Amino acid sequence: MTESTPLLAALGDALEASAAADLASSRARLPRRRSRRLVALVAVAAAAVVSGASFAAVELTSNEEVAASLPAGSLWLAGTEPSCTTVTQDVEYHCVLGKAPANAISDWKGTVEPTVDATKHVNGGCRSLASDGREWECYLGQAAVDQQIVSAGFLGQEVTGPGVG
Amino acid sequence: MRSDARLLREARTDPGAFRELYERYARRVHGFHLRRTRDPDAAHDLTAETFAQAWLARTRFRDEAGGSAGPWLYGIARHVLLASVRKQALERSATERLGVFDRLDREPSEAQPDESWLDGLDEALGDLPDGQRKAIELRVVADLAYDDVAERLGTTPRAARVRVSRGLAALRERITNPLEATR
Repeated sequence: MTESTPLLAALGDALEASAAADLASSRARLPRRRSRRLVALVAVAAAAVVSGASFAAVELTSNEEVAASLPAGSLWLAGTEPSCTTVTQDVEYHCVLGKAPANAISDWKGTVEPTVDATKHVNGGCRSLASDGREWECYLGQAAVDQQIVSAGFLGQEVTGPGVG
Repeated sequence: MRSDARLLREARTDPGAFRELYERYARRVHGFHLRRTRDPDAAHDLTAETFAQAWLARTRFRDEAGGSAGPWLYGIARHVLLASVRKQALERSATERLGVFDRLDREPSEAQPDESWLDGLDEALGDLPDGQRKAIELRVVADLAYDDVAERLGTTPRAARVRVSRGLAALRERITNPLEATR
């Protein structure tokens, strides 16, 4: 193996450099990916455009912004007047709806819905804690992926409005 | 020392962690390919492809061998070898995607894979008694310590060592003299 050692060392250098470049390009590709996914998302989800809703274009960290992201992510939660409290800042929030959601689902407990931020990108998701759908635990970013509420590929996608499925 | 599993977790965002994993396994993976191909250049390129595929698949690694990435890497190496033989050209999908050879001061090998590269790849091991085969897989392929091999087989380290030793002796016999061994 002595002859192969310099070659293997050079291969290690090349692999490490290639890996670093791959990581960098993955990060750079992210916005383009969102645009491509958007086309498919519109086609299969038939998302409705939210009109009349306006959100501040700031980082989603406050309880109010998390609350606004629920109806922005799910049409079923439109008009439910959620309010949220922080469990872990920027990670987990507990939300209660002022009005019950649409009764299209008989038992909401355990159902999951994505959340959408002010820039109309999927920023996390919530899981219903109650059968009447008025109590939710919401997670932002990777925490929503870890909770298996949204997929890693769906997180960060641009959407035109709340989903209905 | 960080486990292989931890290195692969860290490699999601740290190429340096992946390099450390490479340093641990490069010679063994290269040896695997060299024994099959008997061609140093081809073995080098198959090693490159094996690790390039491992990089691309690193987020799919599941720790099922006590923190060792050995079985997972050998699985990839075996897949790369089989794919190369099937299409009669060295598998390069991952190295090309990552541009690995653009960063190496050498030309890719033009070796022509053939069926002989697969001779005895699985058959010899598969012919062994179940206990010996499992012991070899855990000790040689998964690179586990004898204590760990024994625990997984539900036996003592000494008995595990005997099974591996007898299994390897039988393997040598089958590989060096396959006709005799099948009688």
